[in-house]
Amino acid sequence: MTRIMLSEFIKIKRKLILFLVVLGPLGVVGLQAVNFGLRYDWLTSQYKEDLWGGLIGEVTMLSVPTILIGLTILTSMIANIEHQTNAWKQLLSLPVSKMKVFAGKALLSFVLLFMACLLLVVGTIILGISLKFGANIPILYLLKMCFFPFLAAMPFLALQTWLAISMKNQAIPLTTGILGTIVSMYATGFPDWMPLKWPWLVNEWEKPIYSVLLGIVTGLGINLLSLIDFSRRDVK
Amino acid sequence: MSEFIIETKNLTKKFGATRVVNHVDLKVKKGEIYGFLGPNGAGKTTTIRMLLGLARPSKGSIHMFGKDIRKEKLAILRKVGSLVEYPSYYGHLTARENLEAVRVLLDVPKSRIDEVLSIVRLTKDAKRPVKGFSLGMKQRLGIATALLGNPELLILDEPTNGLDPSGILEMRELIKSMPKEHGITIVVSSHLLSEVDQMATQVGIITKGRIIFQDSIQKLREQASSSIKLTVNDVEAAWKTLLSNGYTTDLVQNNIYIDRGTDDQVAAIVKSLVEHDFSIYRVEEQKKSLEEIFLELTGKEGGLL
Repeated sequence: MTRIMLSEFIKIKRKLILFLVVLGPLGVVGLQAVNFGLRYDWLTSQYKEDLWGGLIGEVTMLSVPTILIGLTILTSMIANIEHQTNAWKQLLSLPVSKMKVFAGKALLSFVLLFMACLLLVVGTIILGISLKFGANIPILYLLKMCFFPFLAAMPFLALQTWLAISMKNQAIPLTTGILGTIVSMYATGFPDWMPLKWPWLVNEWEKPIYSVLLGIVTGLGINLLSLIDFSRRDVK
Repeated sequence: MSEFIIETKNLTKKFGATRVVNHVDLKVKKGEIYGFLGPNGAGKTTTIRMLLGLARPSKGSIHMFGKDIRKEKLAILRKVGSLVEYPSYYGHLTARENLEAVRVLLDVPKSRIDEVLSIVRLTKDAKRPVKGFSLGMKQRLGIATALLGNPELLILDEPTNGLDPSGILEMRELIKSMPKEHGITIVVSSHLLSEVDQMATQVGIITKGRIIFQDSIQKLREQASSSIKLTVNDVEAAWKTLLSNGYTTDLVQNNIYIDRGTDDQVAAIVKSLVEHDFSIYRVEEQKKSLEEIFLELTGKEGGLL
């Protein structure tokens, strides 16, 4: 598996994929910098009880759709590396199991998104400090609010990985991904069983961890199904 | 344990109701260059995909190196290098990075990259992105990738497709040198008989999913061997006379043909014609070209002629 990941990282060189990983969190933090820069007085009076909490809340508002659209583009770009010259036939006639190849692709997307979330944590801290919100950073809450939406979005990561890899025409996975992102912006009012609501971490028990657990379990389930589907399919 | 590197039995692949590959029994011996020949759409690529584990057979079995592909696919693939149809490459990477991405999967030493690059003479271009390569160079990179894991068997699907004459020549020389220099067995598919004729030691001809010929290239050439054409004055009478004297010949377009006659038979027929006062204008040997045999074997309905 290490060898597969090594190979995957060689393949994403010069593909702007790493650039995208930086661009996502940078965009979210940048927009919040503008937001707080323009309405500094009003926002600080709104959140005067908990300045850091207010900032983190605003960041999450933007990060959820960014994660969804980001994972859509990322999975599509990663799959497209193989689709472009139909390198699947070369890759899969090497002595590596099909399951591991697929798992490698899925893991690559996960690792890259994880890196993006980590950058979001760092970016938010830098923004908060430069906005003079003090050194009393609620690190645990910040980590939760950056990583929980991502983990709760696992079903989408799994679904998009599957779609992007099993279809040569990337228009379909891109369309479902973009539609999903748009619908998710109105998802806080949906019933709890709707996966699109989970990244917002709201549920009737008011326990964000439930959304996260649901996301991880469903995501792994979809991953397992797609793994089986991929290994049975004939390579074009 | 069989002597064959590749042995398939009743290999069949169905797409819907049509059998693209139909009860194919391939037999490839060690050290051979096996030419896998057939018109477009005959099932060559599908067969090769099944050999590489890219497609599942609907029926039948594949044994390579004496192992069942269903049970020991990865162990088999470790000994196989392949190039299927158009070359696969990562255009944004350089030739060396392309090879590196495969090398880490195969877990062979880094020095192997330089070796294969020099075999296909791409050492100088190794640092350029592959998207700027010509088709011939991409195809050579494909061969380099196939050779990376020190394979014992090389499966090449239409390796000369789309290459210019000098590219074809280069590819052919490269393929021919492999068994000699590296002891590799090669399966090379093509829809051009002349191609296979110049490289292969064994030939399998497939058409409409069925193997219709499988033997050495010499055997195929023997089939190509001669018939004797006789041009005489009164053809019809001559033919009847020959028949009444016990010689079966063919009468085609005012010529008499003797199929696969021995020298003695030919002499006897000529003698008998002379004795019956026929004027013999010409006695010619007619060699069927391999192309003709190929078309005869595969049937012409597939072509435009």
